[in-house]
Amino acid sequence: MSFSKYISGIYTGLKSLVGGMMVTWKQFWSKKVTMEYPENRKTLVISDRWRSELIMPHDENNEHACTACGICMRNCPNGTINVISKKVVNEEGKSRVALDKHLWDYGMCTFCNICVISCPSNAIIFNNDFEGAVFDREKLHHQLNHPGSKLREKKKTVPAAPKTPVAPASEATEATRPTPSVVTAGTSTSPADNKTDNAPKTNPSGNLSNEHTDKENN
Amino acid sequence: MTRFLYFNEMKDIKQIIQDIASDALIEEKQKLTVTVEPKQARPLIEGLRNNKELPFDYLISLIGMDWGEKLGVIYQLSSSIDLTHEVVIITATTDRENPLLYSVSDLYETAHLNEREVYALFGIRFINNPDMRRFLLDDDWKGFPFRKDYDENPDLNPVNVISKEIVDIAPQIIETADGNLVEREVPIFGENDYIINIGPQHPSTHGVMHFRTSLDGEIVKKIDVHSGYIHRGIEKLCESMTYPQILHFTDRLDYLSANINRHGLCMCIEKAGEIEVPQRAEYIRTIMDELQRVSSHLLAWACQCNDLGATTAFVYGMREREHVLDIFDKTCGGRLIINQNVVGGVMFDIYKDFQKDVKAFIPYMRQRLVEYDEFFSHNAIALGRMVNIGHLTKEQAISYGVTGPAGRASGWSCDVRKYKPYSLYDKVEFKEIIRTEGDSYARYLNRLDEIEQSLRIIEQLIDNIPEGDICGKVKAVLRLPEGQFFQSVETGKGEFGVFIESHGDKSPYRVKLRSPSLSAVSVMPLTARGALLSDLIGIAGSLDFVIPDIDR
Amino acid sequence: MLLYSQPLELTKLVHSLDAFFRSSLSPFWATLVEGILIGIAILAAYALIALALIYIERKIAAFFQSRLGPNRLGKYGVIQSIADMIKILIKEIIHVNKIDKLLYYLAPFFVIVASVLSFGAIPFGQSLQAVDFNIGVFYVLAVSSIGVIGILLAGWSSNNKYSMIGAMRSGAQFISYELSAGFSLMTIVVLSGTMQFSELIEGQRYCWNLFNGHIPAFIAFVIFLISGHAETNRGPFDLPEAESELTAGYHTEYSGLRFGFFYLAEYLNMFIIAAIATTVFLGGWMPIQIKGWDAFNQVMWYIPSWIWFFGKAFVLMFLSLWVRWSFPRLRIDLLLNLEWKYLLPINLVNILVMVIIVLSGLTLADIFPAVFGK
Repeated sequence: MSFSKYISGIYTGLKSLVGGMMVTWKQFWSKKVTMEYPENRKTLVISDRWRSELIMPHDENNEHACTACGICMRNCPNGTINVISKKVVNEEGKSRVALDKHLWDYGMCTFCNICVISCPSNAIIFNNDFEGAVFDREKLHHQLNHPGSKLREKKKTVPAAPKTPVAPASEATEATRPTPSVVTAGTSTSPADNKTDNAPKTNPSGNLSNEHTDKENN
Repeated sequence: MTRFLYFNEMKDIKQIIQDIASDALIEEKQKLTVTVEPKQARPLIEGLRNNKELPFDYLISLIGMDWGEKLGVIYQLSSSIDLTHEVVIITATTDRENPLLYSVSDLYETAHLNEREVYALFGIRFINNPDMRRFLLDDDWKGFPFRKDYDENPDLNPVNVISKEIVDIAPQIIETADGNLVEREVPIFGENDYIINIGPQHPSTHGVMHFRTSLDGEIVKKIDVHSGYIHRGIEKLCESMTYPQILHFTDRLDYLSANINRHGLCMCIEKAGEIEVPQRAEYIRTIMDELQRVSSHLLAWACQCNDLGATTAFVYGMREREHVLDIFDKTCGGRLIINQNVVGGVMFDIYKDFQKDVKAFIPYMRQRLVEYDEFFSHNAIALGRMVNIGHLTKEQAISYGVTGPAGRASGWSCDVRKYKPYSLYDKVEFKEIIRTEGDSYARYLNRLDEIEQSLRIIEQLIDNIPEGDICGKVKAVLRLPEGQFFQSVETGKGEFGVFIESHGDKSPYRVKLRSPSLSAVSVMPLTARGALLSDLIGIAGSLDFVIPDIDR
Repeated sequence: MLLYSQPLELTKLVHSLDAFFRSSLSPFWATLVEGILIGIAILAAYALIALALIYIERKIAAFFQSRLGPNRLGKYGVIQSIADMIKILIKEIIHVNKIDKLLYYLAPFFVIVASVLSFGAIPFGQSLQAVDFNIGVFYVLAVSSIGVIGILLAGWSSNNKYSMIGAMRSGAQFISYELSAGFSLMTIVVLSGTMQFSELIEGQRYCWNLFNGHIPAFIAFVIFLISGHAETNRGPFDLPEAESELTAGYHTEYSGLRFGFFYLAEYLNMFIIAAIATTVFLGGWMPIQIKGWDAFNQVMWYIPSWIWFFGKAFVLMFLSLWVRWSFPRLRIDLLLNLEWKYLLPINLVNILVMVIIVLSGLTLADIFPAVFGK
């Protein structure tokens, strides 16, 4: 190694090191990216399509849209959903199948969204409440239908998308959340409408929805 | 460029095949498929491998199969000169008790670990493979789980809570000169070797990888790759699920290329089922794939720097990746496991500000790339840690099947997006980044340059997303026609291959996922031999493997 | 008169305490009591400085990394390190099988004793120095090299291969860099003609050694910072622990308080290096003084000497942290290359240059006696 090479080696080496230090120096004085949760709960923006917790929207009459067909249960890849149905007799004396319990295991769900896109009556959706940690594993077993709820009658005019029950924390954020930015919901203004846009624009449920009939035929 | 070197290959290849194995059954399916007797398979592969004009020197994947009465292997071969040429060779034996096939591990180094995997999962042993321990499974595993008649009784293979001694003796079946088969056992390590366990719980193995490393002072003498700590048997699980259901597994392989993996599987199903994908969906898929590649390379950069001890760089990489994840998050409600592709299109349309966000990200990322350059790429210490370290020649890269940025850093042009363009890659302009140095630094620079190329691709597409449906028409119950279907995609780590054999059911008969990380890991013993312990970590970082991709 | 006009200076307190003990006790007892008091003071300072440094490092590291750092406990997370200390005190000490018990338990004490001993000779401020040796520089160098024995023992006795490799690296590293650190201090000893800290500081009243010896002093300063940084086993020279390679290197098998000792010593060593550099190169606790500007000098003296000392030391520590959080780790051969091929030869030439400068009267104090002379 020649002497001049030795010296120039020292020079370029030091120069590169100082260059690296300048980058961190600039960073030292610039704004930090850390978000301080939970202090920022009020301003925290969770994207509208964020999949946190499976819920079954109920309207003000405590009615839901689930017909207990069980398609979501059959489509679920790992058996997270369990739909328990019961026979009820309606006013006309006809007996038919209705939902007894819609059970969903938060701890097992892979959030693949197949249940939501395969549901023929759009009865279940994922909500935005990401604070799902609990101390007891049992609490992860959710029953999605509210006690005493029943199926929404089809003949009724289609109601506005129901207000979804959300945890207090996300309810607080609801108000400050900016107008939904989903393409198809360009005109929607109320946060309630926004909820329905959790579902995709096109519903590729065609390949899934008739699954159960197929199984029965077999 | 070499890939335009074209010749009347199909006839010639058929001729070559016929010359070697005259009674081989040659079919033109999705790929040129050759079915041969086990005795002829090895000479045939050797002939194709050593073919002068177009050597089939790249073993894309080695797929173990159980066809009921027959156990066999499917070899998917390609040529490193031109990846568009592919030959599929099928061979099978009826002996289910003691199935034996000839190893090709001397022709393709990548076959070593793949054959071990096939042995663990199907029980097929390979003659002349120097190391026939089970890969991915314990040595005392009872039964071969991927066989169709496997006994799933959990009592046979109970969950083990006591740590087991790792067996360091490799059984071999060697064919002697006079044609007899001899079984023998060889120790992996010498008696006085100083063996240190890098992993399975180690900060720099990027997951539960286990390198058993024998050291001489700080110099690495030998590495034994020990994997399978998180093997989930995804390929087996797929066999009992419908096609839409198996999609969600692909996000859990190489989770850094989740979207690209899923894209590959969807395309394989779509091609097999002849399902048309709307243009809008193709645009969304391509843009999302490239964003995914950016995020994957960013993490690779960050982790490589972290492995070299630059913790700050790790945070910087993560900071930029966050912007990409935010876009994912808004588009499809997931950050790591994003569930975007479905058979026939995509699950979620882009959101209103998607284009705006992406267009804001591109200049931001470019600015950061300049900063990375200043910060790390020319740093004297970093250069000392990367230049001329972990050398991998082109021949070695091909033989080990190391694709992606790592393969291209060794001078091998192996970008699937260029050779077998899918989605919109034939419509966009981008440069395939190739370096010839083959060291850690070349791999490092390749990733940074590929980020720039990905940004270029996104730039070309982002303003031209056509209106229309995001998902094509898919039959109510998806059944694929009988046959074998292949699809390759370029993930952040390299070539990810999907193989589906369908028997016309709702579920696949067999799914095989070619993992680019397995090749990257298999090359570790070679590149790290003779290096210092610190460099072992640095080389692992530069090869950028993800463990769930190996432990499928 | 100068001293009593400074309300925050501790000189008066120290002197009156000393006078009180000497007047009320026999000389033997007075020395004993004073010794105990000084011991307590040093240990208290030791703990407090370490806690402060841990907090400062975490905060500064975070700022370099675009993060906020500790911010949960107290305003801006200021009591985070106290909480960490309590945690480490009540943590279970895991007993490891098949270790060399005596050495294993002894090792942390070597490390911590080395740094406590150095504390005794460091002048924190006017009259705030336990012992003013006439070979102070030499003493500090000698004492601080005890630490490496602790590290070697820890690695050897843990019966862990990672620890072993870490310890061996540490041995090679420490012995190499000790040379450079020693030589660069010797350069200044040549310049100032003394090894006693009090005289060194007094000699720098109007001109810091860094400027007095100009080029060779500056080179010596940089080399001392590099080699001192390397001696403390901190990034980019943190090969002995190299968390991405050796998980935690020599202290892999230590937990609880024993690990705490190593942890504490690491931070204190960083401080000690900064303190020595301050004292030797930057005038120690001496406020900035300009010849002839009496009013200005008077004002400077209002700032107590220990604030000057800690202020200067903090600047050097910040530099050390800045380097640590900017660079990747060196490999062992690069590390030894740097020492034996670059630092040591440069150092040897440098000390020669310094001798020539001193002998031919080319120091700043010699050239401009009116401004920089003693």
